[in-house]
Amino acid sequence: MPVIELSYTRLQKLIGKVSKKQISDSLPFLGLDIESEDKDLVRIEYSPNRPDYSTDFGIALGLQGLLGIKTGAIKLNIKISKKYRISVKPQVSKIRPFVTGIIAKNGKIDDKTIKQFMTMQEDLHFGIGRKRKKSSIGIHDLDKISFPLVYTTTNRNHKFTPLNSENTQSISEIIQDTDVGKGYGPILGNSSKVPIILDSNQQTVSFPPIINAAITTVTTKTKNLFVEVTGINKDDAEDMLSVVATILQKAGFALETVQISGAKNSTPKLVQKKILVSPMLINQMLGLNLNTSKIISSLKKSRLDASVKGKNIICTIPAYRFDIFGPMDLVEETALGYGIQNLEPILSTSQTLGQINPISSQLKSLSQTMIGLGYLEALNSSLTSKRVLYDMTNRNTSKMISVLDSKSLEHTILRDAIHPGLLENLSKNIHESYPQKMFETGTIFSIGDPISEEVSFSSISAHKDANFTEIKSILQSALKTGFGIKIETKTTTHPTFEDGHCATVILNGKSIGVIGKIDSKIIENYKIRVPVVSFEISLSESIFDTKN
Amino acid sequence: MSQVFHDIEKKIITSLKDNPKQTPETLEKSTNLSPDQIRRGIEWLKLKNLAIVNESKTNVISLGKNGIESFQKGLPEKRLLDLLKNGPKKLSDLQKELGPVFGPAIGLAKKNNWIESSSEQISLKNLPSEFPGEKTLKQIANNKLLENNIDKNDLLVLLKRPDFIIEDIIKSKEITLTDSAKSIKFSSFFGAIDVEAKVPEIFVARTHPLKDTIDEIREIFVTLGFSEIIGNMTQSSFWNFDALFTPQDHPARELQDTFYLDGISAKKIATPEQIRKVSESHKKNWRYYWDINEARKMVLRTHTTCVTIKHLAENKPDEAQFFSLGRVFRNEKVSYKHLVEFNQIEGVVVGKNANLRNLMGIQREFYKRIGITKIKFWPTFFPYTEPSLQTMVYNERLGKWIELFGMGIFRPELTKPLGITKPVLAWGGGIERIAMLKYGLDDVREFYNNNLGWLRSVTKCQ
Repeated sequence: MPVIELSYTRLQKLIGKVSKKQISDSLPFLGLDIESEDKDLVRIEYSPNRPDYSTDFGIALGLQGLLGIKTGAIKLNIKISKKYRISVKPQVSKIRPFVTGIIAKNGKIDDKTIKQFMTMQEDLHFGIGRKRKKSSIGIHDLDKISFPLVYTTTNRNHKFTPLNSENTQSISEIIQDTDVGKGYGPILGNSSKVPIILDSNQQTVSFPPIINAAITTVTTKTKNLFVEVTGINKDDAEDMLSVVATILQKAGFALETVQISGAKNSTPKLVQKKILVSPMLINQMLGLNLNTSKIISSLKKSRLDASVKGKNIICTIPAYRFDIFGPMDLVEETALGYGIQNLEPILSTSQTLGQINPISSQLKSLSQTMIGLGYLEALNSSLTSKRVLYDMTNRNTSKMISVLDSKSLEHTILRDAIHPGLLENLSKNIHESYPQKMFETGTIFSIGDPISEEVSFSSISAHKDANFTEIKSILQSALKTGFGIKIETKTTTHPTFEDGHCATVILNGKSIGVIGKIDSKIIENYKIRVPVVSFEISLSESIFDTKN
Repeated sequence: MSQVFHDIEKKIITSLKDNPKQTPETLEKSTNLSPDQIRRGIEWLKLKNLAIVNESKTNVISLGKNGIESFQKGLPEKRLLDLLKNGPKKLSDLQKELGPVFGPAIGLAKKNNWIESSSEQISLKNLPSEFPGEKTLKQIANNKLLENNIDKNDLLVLLKRPDFIIEDIIKSKEITLTDSAKSIKFSSFFGAIDVEAKVPEIFVARTHPLKDTIDEIREIFVTLGFSEIIGNMTQSSFWNFDALFTPQDHPARELQDTFYLDGISAKKIATPEQIRKVSESHKKNWRYYWDINEARKMVLRTHTTCVTIKHLAENKPDEAQFFSLGRVFRNEKVSYKHLVEFNQIEGVVVGKNANLRNLMGIQREFYKRIGITKIKFWPTFFPYTEPSLQTMVYNERLGKWIELFGMGIFRPELTKPLGITKPVLAWGGGIERIAMLKYGLDDVREFYNNNLGWLRSVTKCQ
């Protein structure tokens, strides 16, 4: 989840009359986790469903509501202007078909504000922009641009001076040589044409979704802004724009429209939507008995507008709250405005009877049996490595199930047996006193339709006198005491076990596993200095009869 | 307080009272104890200040190989002179008769002027009354002797000859009782042992500590009226994500967060109706092209919620309380606080009690039963629940609030397409985190290290 850094004094200025403590006490009840605090600075983690919390401006709006300083929906005051136009050429429709934008005037921008805008932009790109693939933003100095603009395509040899650079570079060079180019260039695929925003002097404004032109760089001297959002879906682009517009308005800018036309594009409306919710649903879901006026005031504290409509409440949702899908979201908004801390937990008597799953209870009994036989329970990961599963035990790798792109080399292959893990455990314990006797029950995996999962049971015994007879006695007793079943053993060979000391475990004429003395070379490779005996049987096939 | 003595100690003390100065060897004979028992008994008595042990070193001598032969057959030179008693003999005959000692015998006899030699013959000249060393040889042969009881000059003769004499140092111990020991009277009570002594450590066989916590949690939910369901760890993306309203381009579905099984897709993932309705919900709410091939990709479940939702979709209960418990997987770097594979408990409530306050009540009750009473609830976000909360619990040892279970009410956007009409409360969280608090661990990896040092020592009943 994204993390941002805030200053308490800045927040106090943005919110109004409020103490630092009130702010820090309220943040968690807005759904913001405090990561760390250092004097005036606080680092908070916000949920990706609330991109408006990517700046202190957005958080201030939320806190004003929760603290009752300013409640109700935030209305965007957008002056309709005909001065700013973007015309869209049809050739963009195959690459990045939509553009939208807004003008923000007469704002004050200091270093801290620029920093907030930058984190907002990054977080929006990463989250709802899906790493700029779905939509991306460019924020520009309006006064460096001469309207009208055109959103069109250009060749990869098109040149301009990109942001943070002093020289002109071609599109190809930007994609090949710069970090942003390398990171986001692949979004544009291999097409010879790329999207571009040009102004009326044919000057490049932006090369979406990669980089802005240097000329429009926003500095502390900038007064007026032009914001453009491009994307593959019109609604998503406008959603993103609505967040930026709301933040800019809170930051003190006056908004004006940008007229957009051509190739299925149109001027954004950033309209509020209305959702009807019944007070009964809210009370039923929260376990409360609130009257409609309390519900309405709670919704307003969540910075929504609400009023009574017949038996229902009609709620007005600002455009930037596109995380709200329907009435259940309004149940949550009511709970937040009401205050989660005011919800008293209750425990209703249950009408249902609890039951342990039969497999769990049988495994528990088997554990108890093994403990009675002097075996300690081990637990290993099911996702382990080729080294442990196959290389160290000489087993066949042909049916190995691996996962993609694991961050840990020790966790790449799903286990198809438990005993290799137990052997690995012994090797890590060679300095502990012997005898060492362990068992484990757990899931093993094999290729099936598409994957077959079985419950397997394995034990291992290592000490100077460990031998086949001992381990067979253990298996025999465990199964007899545990499940009242009797097994036989028939000579076999197995890459992990020593020839002449290895057998198939047979139940009712069917092989259910293997038992024997671990091959001396394997023991040697593991630097274990005592003989080791082991068995592994499938419980799914023998006991539970639930191979799935 | 009367002292308690081991039987070994008693026997040694009794024997020393009869015979005040003894060696370990004599004590062995007099007490019938083994050398090891005597050694231990003396050691114990010494520590209790009841016995005095004087150690001394003595040089002793015994016969070597040549010495033994000379004792049995006579000194080589004596054997030579004996052969010459009846007149001169040929050199070759003597050599044959004496074998390897011929050389030294001739040499010594010549040196002492006992024989004369001509070209072919050897004849007796003088017969000594006594051969040097002979007396001492006999003395030594009869007993291992202390060096100072022997004629030094005579011994020197033997010492010069190869392998006649072996010199050795013997350490000997003389054991006597202290005055306080002499006055000890044993009670008639036999068989008392040193109950204060240390005993060997025995390692108990036991269930795994994490399993104990899992069992405890399972039991709590069963007693709260919940039934356990189980399901597969490998799941199609459909049940792990799509059915849970997680859009296909959501960051959580990326390779860097979720384990995808290499090249494995499920043919049959759900009923055609489930697939159609779930995809419609995605298209309508998330506005993107829903790809069934993406839903077919097999993953290691990232939560047990997939098991829960599948169960709900199959059974559509009007009223139910159940839970699932098991391993879940995240593609993370393993560290002291992160594992790639850990256990999760997840529970749901369907029915008339399904409201947020009751959900909070169940949490509070659960925490109370595992001994956590200081808790609070904070709002949070999960893609598939609305409203969503998380529990924060206060840990005294760490002195801070820790995030535990997440919870919420399943979104209608996910329940409706699956034909679930009743509201569903759901909650869940990691079990290792609770077990870490319980066992006071700071490194979660310890649970899967199977380090016998830890498993054998960690307290079971906590």
